[in-house]
Amino acid sequence: MSNKSRRDFLVNSGLGLGGVALSGFLPGGGFFSAASAADLAAADPLAPKSPHFPAKVKTVIWLHMDGAPSTLDLYDYKPELVKLAGQSIPDSFLKGIKGGIRGGDQAKLWVSKREWKQHGESGAWFSDLLPNLAQHADKLAFIKSSVTVGATHNISILKLNTGDLNPGRPSLGAWVSYALGSANPDLPSYVVLYNDKKEPTGGSINWSSGFLPAVYQGAAFRPGESPILNLDRNGLTSSAEQQASLDLLKRLNDRKLVQYSQDNELKARTRSYELASRMQVAAPEAVDLSKETDATKELYGLNDDATKGYGQVLLRARRLAERGVRFIQVVSGPLEIEGDSRNWDAHNNLEENHGKHARAVDKPIAGLLADLKDRGLLDSTLVVWTSEFARTPFGQSGNGRDHNPWGYTQWIAGGGVKAGTTFGATDEIGMQAVGKTVDTYDLHATVLQLLGLDHLKTTYLSNGRSERPTVVYGEVIKELLA
Amino acid sequence: MKKTVYLAVALAFAATIAVAADEKVATEVAKPAEAASATTSKAKLWSWQPVQAQAVPEVKQKSWVRTPVDAFILSQLEAKNIKPSAEADRATFIRRATLDAWGLIPTPEQVKEFVNDRSPNAYEKLVDRLLASPKYGERQARRWLDLARYADSAGFTNDETRNNLWRYRDYVVNSFNQDKPYNQFVKEQLAGDEIAPGNPEALIATGFLRGYPDDSNSRDLVQKKYQNTTDITDTVGKVFLAQTVECARCHNHKYDKISQKDYFSLQAFFANVHAVDNIPAPKGDQEIAYEKALAKWEEATKDIRAKQKAILDTARAEAEQYNFERFSKPTQEALNKLRKPESEWTADERWVNHRYLANQNDAGLAAYFQDTSREGAPGYKPENAEKWKQYKALADELKKFDKIKPETGSDAISAITELGHADAPATHVRFTGAFDHPLEEVQPAFPVSITDEKPVIVPTGFSSGRRTALANWIASEKNPLTARVYVNRVWGYFFDNGIVETVSDFGKAGSKPTNPELLDYLADNFVKQGWSVKKLQREILLSNVYRQASLPREDVAKADPQNKLLAVFPRKRLEAEEIRDSLLVASGQLEDKVGGPSVFAPVPNGLNAGNQWKVSKDQKDWNRRSIYVFTRRSVPYPLLQTFDMASAQQVHSKRDVTTTPLQALTLYNDDTVFSWSQALAGRVIREAGADESAQFDRLYQILYARNADREEKALLKSFLDNQEKVIQQKAVEGGKFAVNVPTGLKDVKAINPLRAAAFVDLVHTAANSNDFSYRF
Repeated sequence: MSNKSRRDFLVNSGLGLGGVALSGFLPGGGFFSAASAADLAAADPLAPKSPHFPAKVKTVIWLHMDGAPSTLDLYDYKPELVKLAGQSIPDSFLKGIKGGIRGGDQAKLWVSKREWKQHGESGAWFSDLLPNLAQHADKLAFIKSSVTVGATHNISILKLNTGDLNPGRPSLGAWVSYALGSANPDLPSYVVLYNDKKEPTGGSINWSSGFLPAVYQGAAFRPGESPILNLDRNGLTSSAEQQASLDLLKRLNDRKLVQYSQDNELKARTRSYELASRMQVAAPEAVDLSKETDATKELYGLNDDATKGYGQVLLRARRLAERGVRFIQVVSGPLEIEGDSRNWDAHNNLEENHGKHARAVDKPIAGLLADLKDRGLLDSTLVVWTSEFARTPFGQSGNGRDHNPWGYTQWIAGGGVKAGTTFGATDEIGMQAVGKTVDTYDLHATVLQLLGLDHLKTTYLSNGRSERPTVVYGEVIKELLA
Repeated sequence: MKKTVYLAVALAFAATIAVAADEKVATEVAKPAEAASATTSKAKLWSWQPVQAQAVPEVKQKSWVRTPVDAFILSQLEAKNIKPSAEADRATFIRRATLDAWGLIPTPEQVKEFVNDRSPNAYEKLVDRLLASPKYGERQARRWLDLARYADSAGFTNDETRNNLWRYRDYVVNSFNQDKPYNQFVKEQLAGDEIAPGNPEALIATGFLRGYPDDSNSRDLVQKKYQNTTDITDTVGKVFLAQTVECARCHNHKYDKISQKDYFSLQAFFANVHAVDNIPAPKGDQEIAYEKALAKWEEATKDIRAKQKAILDTARAEAEQYNFERFSKPTQEALNKLRKPESEWTADERWVNHRYLANQNDAGLAAYFQDTSREGAPGYKPENAEKWKQYKALADELKKFDKIKPETGSDAISAITELGHADAPATHVRFTGAFDHPLEEVQPAFPVSITDEKPVIVPTGFSSGRRTALANWIASEKNPLTARVYVNRVWGYFFDNGIVETVSDFGKAGSKPTNPELLDYLADNFVKQGWSVKKLQREILLSNVYRQASLPREDVAKADPQNKLLAVFPRKRLEAEEIRDSLLVASGQLEDKVGGPSVFAPVPNGLNAGNQWKVSKDQKDWNRRSIYVFTRRSVPYPLLQTFDMASAQQVHSKRDVTTTPLQALTLYNDDTVFSWSQALAGRVIREAGADESAQFDRLYQILYARNADREEKALLKSFLDNQEKVIQQKAVEGGKFAVNVPTGLKDVKAINPLRAAAFVDLVHTAANSNDFSYRF
């Protein structure tokens, strides 16, 4: 397929919504067509594929707050906790909880110095830590009864991204990439962004393709002008020189095709060099913020050292969303706190920790929402604010909080989302979710639903078993959908 | 069902969540198989029935049969009226066979010798030469290591280096090179410590079990034991038996007759296993060099470490208590027994205590000072701030000596043992697989639907003997699965797909054998030939099936679109390691050294892996075969990962083939790959001389095992003519002028730099071509 006809193909297929799809491995084609690696090798594994039903959004921006923020100090206002502060946590709130609560028995309920206000028509509560995001209250749909498993970060982060506590399963982004293919072959369809000098802890297992072919794994975009490993051509090779070499490559490969004329895999390999050379142009352009206006930069907080790091990453995220990247996973970076480099993990000194972290992300996230809205992209994008777990209502170290996987807040915003609503709740002090809870699998099922994918039908045949993103769990949270 | 599922989530809290097949989907997938076997529903699953000795089938075209496998293939083809393909030419054949046996391209000399060998046993000579080389073991070992989820690091966040695990890798390489009988290979890996406790090789073999991913940060060691045992059990089930036993951990297996009780009875064989990482290794050159280097570091840092110890000693008990309190309650309860003499520990407590003590070290304990030096922190002590300051300063000082600390290598063995105890902890069925919901106790037993054989467990005085019993059953010639599963994997190595396509699932949901008679013939013969892997591979390599051309045929595409009957040889993209290693061979730079500690090859700029990937200082290490490149679970080696290398997290049964622009970027732009092309260009000029036509031939001989034809030469020459101008143009436009030149040439003056730069481009392009990246 020539460059032009390939482009036409992509345009005609309307980002996969128009129905031009390779029927052999339609995710919606039923259980018997669950694809396997052998099917995928034969054709372009990233060719756009139709969703199961019309999608509400084309792109997901997955904002992972690394280290687990205390959502009790951000969104989940608990007057009762204020009242009981200083007292031991009543046993009634600990019912059903087993396992390692450090100092749980003697733990005293604790409040930070927060001021709380309701915002927007929805009247959603925000603490003074998120003044900018509060302005977008009516764009958000809160999940206040989130639960998860595990009490150490790494395994719960793994669960947040892959649904399992042990490495080996594909991350949600990989499933999306597999099920929908790429909407822009010039860029990876699944990109990971982070604002730190090195890769986030836990590394690539959190954007791994697991048992799916490696082509679906997340591409970690590096800071700087050249985001992809080996993107730049050899320093002494000119562009014309490279082009002439690639022309030769095509001719050499075409000679082999005389004997193997029907071999799609060989053709795909020749094409991959054309795609790569386009990516060499497209990827740096996609992360080049110099063309953004001053107003936009200001919106994301690029003019302030406190917000610049995360702001740049979110502005990159918007540019990638505009360019059709399917899944953009953003990991918040550590900050200098009490002389250490630390993430949201405020076992002590929550005031400084959350003060700095909230400041770093508040304006950029508000900016992202405003910018997406202004550009008409919010309707086709899903923003997910999430973390591996959150923090306890009882204090730790006198001025911090411990891990809490039993009840916490996350939110989603964007296309198909019932904006300005809240689903679920925690108990009076924010220790545990009450009523209907939302586990990782439910969140994943909901995200897939908005992308037009039925999580039960998004399957892949791995070693004889039909696997799906939500393992054996998951339920779409209908209350969050418009 | 929904309720149960949520119950499971609640119960599994702080435990492991099941990785099980989608129940709903699974049932529907399973239907056709069930329907098909409805008439024989009482009969055992095909793979659980004994292997049957097979008569070699009668075929019409008798002359085509070189080895018995040919008859099995041909009989199916004849039934469908398909003719097998013609033989591949000899050059294609030797490239194919060398890649399959060694994972490397052959040298032009090897090709020439074979192509010109007119003796009647030319193929036999070639195959025997391939099987006799140490390179054979390196290639076969890589395939085994995929299954063993082999890594040089622990995994999870800290992903600590496992300094001793390379010994297991070398054990696997050596086993294939020695043609160790497969049944012995199996036994050693499962129970080497019980069978031959005094034999270091047998201890090293248990690295197979020891290789599980582990989280040193785990705060619940009681649960950790369960997780590790789960990994080991699931791995053993998949690798040796191709049974997805893990499906039966949370509930009875959905397709196969494996109950939860069967599953936990299997776990019980591993109830008493411990990781031991400090068994002294026999002293060879590596160990002596390592100890010498370490002694040097120890001497240089003696004072610093003594001062650190002195500071910690002022509060060691408090630090230990502090560390202790970080663990979950059940762990603390088991650990309280630390206060009891070791002789009074129960088997359960032994595991937790051993694990706790193995992970405890001074650097970890010193964190106590840091944590308690802040006001408001639990256990806050003002004086600890000063102690931490001093300790930290010493730690920084110590770091300066990292330069002389040996980064790789070791003088110890990592193994699995039972710590000298024959009494094993109890194993319970776990309700929904949830760790904290034990039900009935179970004893070690084989899955009852597979066999009615009972394990014969003979405690040894230092070990429970359980694994020996399991190993004896698995490695028995009567086991219906072991030989079948392995010969099927081997078949898949040559023909892309196994006779059973789902190579690690011989259950009901797996695929059916495309040629059951052939599978049983191979399995039966494998056992009869003393479980010799080399004999098995020799028969396949010398068969006519393997000798066929890979050229596509329209009649086959119609009659057998997926080529299941193998009337055409399946062409295949080289695997990640084959690409890297073959480029090293082509460039003339491959370091042939076999074995030893893993090395850190160079990585692309911007990888940002920090201390997790410190490139080896010795440049020779950069050019070792890929099997010796360090396998860090959190930082897969980028060049290999891009080409679908195995994931080291779980059993990796089959290499995928994906085709992506990132691969093109890697092969075209990576500095290391480019430097190999420069070296290859230099080699070609060195070996072919100044004549361009001869250079083209030499390049093609090296990369593709053939000469360039006239058309190709014309194409390449016109490329050079044009590229020279393109490069010259760059010189005219650019301020400073530099070009890529071939490397490894003594006499550079005689060479036109523009032509030479164009030649580097040509060579690099040829190395990027499909002709190179595929074996046809």
